[in-house]
Amino acid sequence: MNRNVLSRRVLAGVALVALALTGCGSNDNSSQPGGDGNSSQPGSGGGSAYADLSGELTASGASFPDAYYQEVVEAFKSAAPDVTVTYNATGSGTGKKQFGAGLVDFAGTDSLVKETDGVAAGSFRYVPTVAAPITVSYHLEGVDKLQLSPETLAKIFQTDITTWDDAAIKADNPGVELPDTPITVAHRSDGSGTTSNFTKYLEAAAAGTWKLGSGDTVAWPANTQGGEKNTGVAQIVKQTNGAVGYVDLSDAKATGLTFAAIKNKDGQFVEPSLEGTTAGLEGAEVADDLSYNPLNAAGATAYPITAPTFVIVRTAYDDANKAALVRGFLNYLLTEGQELAEDADFAPLPASLRDKALAQIEKIQG
Amino acid sequence: MTLTNPSPAAEVAVRRRGHGALGDRVFSWWTLGTGLLVLAILGLILVTTVREAWPAFDAMGPRFVTERVWDPNPATGDAIFGALSFAYGTAVSSLIALLFAVPVSVGIALFLTELAPRRLRGPAVTVIDLLAAVPSVVFGLWGILVVAPALVPVYQWTHDVFGGVPLLGRLVGPVGSGRTFMTAGLILAIMITPIITSITREVFGTVPRADKDAALALGATRWEMIRGAVLPHSFGGIVGAVMLGLGRAMGETIAVALVIGGATNITANLFAPGNSMAAVIVQQFGESTGTFTAALIGLGVVLFAMTVLINVFARVVVRRAEARMKGGVA
Amino acid sequence: MTLTAPPTFRPAGGGPDLTRAALSGRRRLTNHLATAAIWAAVLLAVVPLALVTYTVITRGGGVMSLSFLTEDIPNSYRRDGGGMAPAIVGTLLITGTAALMAIPLGVFGAIYLNEYGKQRPLARLIRLMADVMTGVPSIVMGLFVYLSWVLLVGAQTGFAGALALACLMLPVVIRSSEEMLRLVPEELRQASMALGARKWQTTLTVVLPAAISGITSGSLLAVARAAGETAPIIIVTGIVFSPNWNLFDGSNTALPAQIFRNASQPFDAAQDRAWGAALTLIVIVLGCTVLARLISRRFATKER
Repeated sequence: MNRNVLSRRVLAGVALVALALTGCGSNDNSSQPGGDGNSSQPGSGGGSAYADLSGELTASGASFPDAYYQEVVEAFKSAAPDVTVTYNATGSGTGKKQFGAGLVDFAGTDSLVKETDGVAAGSFRYVPTVAAPITVSYHLEGVDKLQLSPETLAKIFQTDITTWDDAAIKADNPGVELPDTPITVAHRSDGSGTTSNFTKYLEAAAAGTWKLGSGDTVAWPANTQGGEKNTGVAQIVKQTNGAVGYVDLSDAKATGLTFAAIKNKDGQFVEPSLEGTTAGLEGAEVADDLSYNPLNAAGATAYPITAPTFVIVRTAYDDANKAALVRGFLNYLLTEGQELAEDADFAPLPASLRDKALAQIEKIQG
Repeated sequence: MTLTNPSPAAEVAVRRRGHGALGDRVFSWWTLGTGLLVLAILGLILVTTVREAWPAFDAMGPRFVTERVWDPNPATGDAIFGALSFAYGTAVSSLIALLFAVPVSVGIALFLTELAPRRLRGPAVTVIDLLAAVPSVVFGLWGILVVAPALVPVYQWTHDVFGGVPLLGRLVGPVGSGRTFMTAGLILAIMITPIITSITREVFGTVPRADKDAALALGATRWEMIRGAVLPHSFGGIVGAVMLGLGRAMGETIAVALVIGGATNITANLFAPGNSMAAVIVQQFGESTGTFTAALIGLGVVLFAMTVLINVFARVVVRRAEARMKGGVA
Repeated sequence: MTLTAPPTFRPAGGGPDLTRAALSGRRRLTNHLATAAIWAAVLLAVVPLALVTYTVITRGGGVMSLSFLTEDIPNSYRRDGGGMAPAIVGTLLITGTAALMAIPLGVFGAIYLNEYGKQRPLARLIRLMADVMTGVPSIVMGLFVYLSWVLLVGAQTGFAGALALACLMLPVVIRSSEEMLRLVPEELRQASMALGARKWQTTLTVVLPAAISGITSGSLLAVARAAGETAPIIIVTGIVFSPNWNLFDGSNTALPAQIFRNASQPFDAAQDRAWGAALTLIVIVLGCTVLARLISRRFATKER
């Protein structure tokens, strides 16, 4: 690592990171080191560590964390007024493709990089950013509490079960009056990391029952509905009585959907929540490259359908300023930015994982 | 300037404005070049898309169009790309569109040429022009936010009433959301009405006055005149217009993508969701890689081939009908 | 419906209307039914137009304001406020550039067909293929430009969108311009030639000016159609949230693409923006259409 090319402001950023880690902090304003000397930015930014960064960052990728990233981008504007960050929620696949082709500075992705994605192995690093539960949202007049086991869930999405008063659903919901409304399954019509995580979960938790495999696009049964992006699925669920679909918590809440409690590995029915997600993250095993899989994690309070999301960055950037910008923005995202996560209904990373993520950013060369 | 021109008049011209001869040549080559551009673009479309789609054609062979399974990530084995269910969706939604649009369009065209009081003719033409001017994405927006939800009770009622009837009952099966083959067909019908109307109207306009007068003079009612003189005369032209409308409906992407429901589905139930070839491309292109991308481009190739065939057929029919009519008048 | 007024329709040269009263009931009924059906067809076309117009105006009008036309697109669908300025800029730039490419080329193509090629086999082939090209689905054109241009330069740009729209406009311009050139009286050409002008001079200084308003009007209709195209824009131009005035550098966006993106959102803020964008787009498209009608009307009176 060529440490001597790191600029002063990045060292400042690292210092900030250290402070943020120890303080786990709500006191960011006091911890900002920018005031110690030649910061030329008095006033609003208070001379933050990011204030003298300038330039443009473009990124694209996963739409799953889009709502959170856009909040961070918006907040970053006031911390670093001379930096323009554009995150374009094209979907993980496009993001990786564009990253591989050098069109964007970093990419967001819900799935790990595959051979066919066009990103050369060893040219990138994963930076985990946030995690979020994938809800099973439904719209069923007269029913506002629903519990589902993984097997029932698999049967519903395979259309083995076609009405809401099916015996399997009844068995999961003792005492609940279920109407005979036909089930309308809503899924993504575009390729999606959310689909990939949801189907991977079913593959793991309902092995033997789930037959559709897993991936960004799977062969959904006929007579199911496709929607564009998570919000498109949310729209179908909202519009249609009897509909059920998988939607990220953030979009599901913003749309005002109701969601089912899912039976986790420990046999408990858990509603999707940020606490349940963080509990799931703590139970997940993190690999050396920081990829991890919190799906169907153990723990009595863990919500089982928890999706991780990553940013992929280059190991080295040709342009030192670009590298500084990427480090700066991601530093912000993992420190002050993490506080915005809960407002947007995303779960911040547990401290241990965030440590590792920040260390990963530090390794970026350029 | 070594131009030898046998015509004495031209020779005078050449002598007087010699530089013009070169200009003439350059100009005619230039215009020819721009004309050839059309052929070049069509050729390039064919070459580039077929080349990029080849991995999928190669992997699937003829099954690309006969297989109904579309599974880029199967649980076991290789990816399967079968376009059949999307071709089915394209065909069904387009046919529904024709079923509604053709009678309406022919009706409007008859209204404009045979029936309309003079003061209504202008406004009626304006209505058609306005319909043609509304971009398809706006119909899509209207379709997904207004029409589809509003049609659910209508579909439900139709299913409840006619669901038990043999044969017909299979067409009006159970209803999920309002995004269905039927909704897509209805939106398409609105979109292709102007094009069918305007061509049919032109064709009706070429029916010789004498034929119509003769029919009326023989005591025919207006309808009998239309049936006996106007429609037989215009049959070829109407067929051409319908084919053009069909081509338009098949290629429509955005409005269909929004309202057809996004399911890989072959069913007689018109109230079920499905998908069309064009819609699948725009939905899945962004997130595809490798053979998957090739397969989506392959859908484009199939769509291109089908629309070209239909358009060639339609134009030839229209042109023949026009030529015959002109001959008839003379 | 004034079914009891047969004298309002009497064909010129038709004989005395002796048969009308003597019509059999069945024939009269059929005629009335057919008349009613034709009227119904017209009403059936009016209803959706009225409904679309009503919804777009009420819902789009609700968000329409100066700030909607001038502000950036919010980067989150859920956020209220913001505007469509980047998409308006994109639509105008992309469609305008496409027109600058397609109209001159299309007019020269039309000149070839009408002044040089006439009924030669090559000209007839080009004519047929131009007709066929008008039927090529816009999504296919989008794929074509993506494969042959976007992959080549390695970036989604506004210019790629302009290329796709130009390809869609070209055949329409060729065919409508050819119709207009055909209307130019042969005598004009002969007079010009007789005065010693070369054919190219005749074409550029006599024939083209005579047909120019018709060509302009036809081209404007092609532009209006292209401004509403969505699929190729989505595939080849990417997206931006603030205006990008440079078509050659960086992604861009356009109104149709924004309508499509926002149409499948469950959030009121996004749906409002979609309706607002739809209203803006319709105003732009109708502006072109009305302009075209005005020009062609002036042309028609001049001709007389």
